Amino acid sequence: MKTFLRIIGGLVVLGVIALLAFIFVPVQRTAPAKELAADWQPEPGQGEYVMHASDCVACHTAEGGEPLAGGRAIASPMGTIWSTNITPDTETGIGEWSYDDFRGAMVDGIAKGGTHLYPAMPYENYRLMQEEDIRALYDYLMAEVAPVQNEVQETQLSFPFNLRFGIRAWNWLALTHDAGFNPVGTSDLQDRGQYLVEGPGHCAACHSPRTPFMAQDGVTASDDAFLTGGVIDGWNAPALRGEGSAPQAWTVGELADYLATGRNAHSAANGEMGLVVEHSLQYLTDEDNLAMAAFLKGIDGAEVEAPETVAAAGPIATPDPEADDAGRETAELLISADPEMPLGARLYTDNCIGCHFASGKGAPGLFPELQDNHLVTGSETAPLISVILNGAEVPGTAKRPMTLRMQGYAERLSDDEVAELATWLRGAWGNDAGPVSPADVADVRDTDATH
Amino acid sequence: MTDLPGYPSRRSFLKASAAGAALSGLALPASAQQQPQPVSLDEYQREYLNADEWAFIMAATARLIPSEGDGPGALEARVPVFIDRQLASDYGTADDWYMEGPHDPNAEPARGWQTPLNPAEVYRQAIPAFDAWCQETHGAAFAELSPEQQDASLTSLQNGDVALAGELREFWGLLLSNTKEGYFADPQYGGNHGMQSWVYIGFPGARAAYREWPERHNVKYPLGPVSISGERA
Repeated sequence: MKTFLRIIGGLVVLGVIALLAFIFVPVQRTAPAKELAADWQPEPGQGEYVMHASDCVACHTAEGGEPLAGGRAIASPMGTIWSTNITPDTETGIGEWSYDDFRGAMVDGIAKGGTHLYPAMPYENYRLMQEEDIRALYDYLMAEVAPVQNEVQETQLSFPFNLRFGIRAWNWLALTHDAGFNPVGTSDLQDRGQYLVEGPGHCAACHSPRTPFMAQDGVTASDDAFLTGGVIDGWNAPALRGEGSAPQAWTVGELADYLATGRNAHSAANGEMGLVVEHSLQYLTDEDNLAMAAFLKGIDGAEVEAPETVAAAGPIATPDPEADDAGRETAELLISADPEMPLGARLYTDNCIGCHFASGKGAPGLFPELQDNHLVTGSETAPLISVILNGAEVPGTAKRPMTLRMQGYAERLSDDEVAELATWLRGAWGNDAGPVSPADVADVRDTDATH
Repeated sequence: MTDLPGYPSRRSFLKASAAGAALSGLALPASAQQQPQPVSLDEYQREYLNADEWAFIMAATARLIPSEGDGPGALEARVPVFIDRQLASDYGTADDWYMEGPHDPNAEPARGWQTPLNPAEVYRQAIPAFDAWCQETHGAAFAELSPEQQDASLTSLQNGDVALAGELREFWGLLLSNTKEGYFADPQYGGNHGMQSWVYIGFPGARAAYREWPERHNVKYPLGPVSISGERA
């Protein structure tokens, strides 16, 4: 008995020591994959370009605030995380950070002073960036961005997520991949695309599923689950590979158009993806948007044929697409204008058909198609309901300056009617997704009313 | 109280409600939409017109678009409600019209509005004047006359045989056009109740999506109308 107690006592002491070590022993930063020469200098504009490619602005800028000065609320399952000021202000920004401090944040998720960052900061992805790009980004932020004095709200999550040392254990689960980039080697174009998608673009942060520990399930091209689709804040981030995914259904050129301008012959970017286009992708070169499109197209071995240019200038004379075989029955019902048509079809006729047409294929470059549209058929129905109630907006870009707007129908349609319409859309033109209930609609209406 | 065909009086409204309650357990066709019935014209709370004016508008619009035909009349379409609400609005007060003079009651009609009175004031002054003319000519106010006498009086008004002050010369034109507007305008303005006039003439309302139809000659477009607020018929 005494021996047993002694063993238990010993284990407790060891456990306490381990816990204290876990909490207080500083975390080692990952060493650079490649040491840059002492006199290494980025190309002019390189750092700003990396900033755009990494979409720093989207999170590190408050609504209506100074760019990169932080203060934006990032909703997470654990609570609201407030983005930090990354201008070189010495008191409220990163003005006192050394390059190694900055590298630690990008690669290991560790702030100056050793505090763990919440993984809303996608260091899972940024750690795949090349040393030159991280360095160029640092030089840009420190030398070319004006310091902005802006004390941002401190993130205060509830227990246990307020104990940041816990992220140390989380990092053991999440950071299983080495820092630095490992090209697949299919072609220079696709390798460049792979780099942008995996690293700075941090596409996997939304488009990969999450493990039970909320880490990204699939961070690099060698992971099976990489970019197989995720759910973020009640929105589906659709799969970017596999049968029926947009990169497989669209041409490389169409996908590059979508990235560069938020619109193409099939669809339009709204929600979070609209922000990515607005703040990041529209600033990338045609070559880089084509490279990402080419990489996604060929990710599972499909033939890749890339055009030379993206979103060509000049009038687009694409004819409005007619219904295809899967959509013909629905289109004929709508065109018949039969008074006995189901209520969902009648509501579509009364409210939607003017832009999205009987074919459900919308208009190229303007109105998204609703057939095989992941927002219509997704596992999450709140986005579709929200678009019907509140409308949608696709931001203008340099190549396609016109902002596309859809009006909302909250005033015109009741909860029952929105549910009928949404349910009908999820089964029209060969779509095959489950029904939407009036209670689902009421939930979205109430949520939007309180925001 | 007369029960107008197609328009529910209070009594027939109550009957209809009972029938509606009995039917509500049954499946409805897709286009059917249960709308709350508005109050009857007798119980309607007027926004601008007084009781005599209301009686005149009810009687006059009922002769301009009578109920005895194959389509709805002005009363079924609730045209008087439309006129009352318009006169209470910035239309009645001519808020955004050019109202400075000079006003010449003898100007050609093409010269536009030739009175310092706004539409609400024209109705307010012209109705008693016209009622006085009816009293003198036919022995009773307009609303009390027989339908034949009412038609004769309106014909006189239209032909300029009723001596009205120069400032009231727009009265007939206003009454006729406001009646037509109340009959055909979107229901949100109080008239065209249930989009009855649109159904009658086959106008599909605020849908604006017929791209497959223009080349279908001599084929009737079968679907009923939709209003701006989404009401279906």
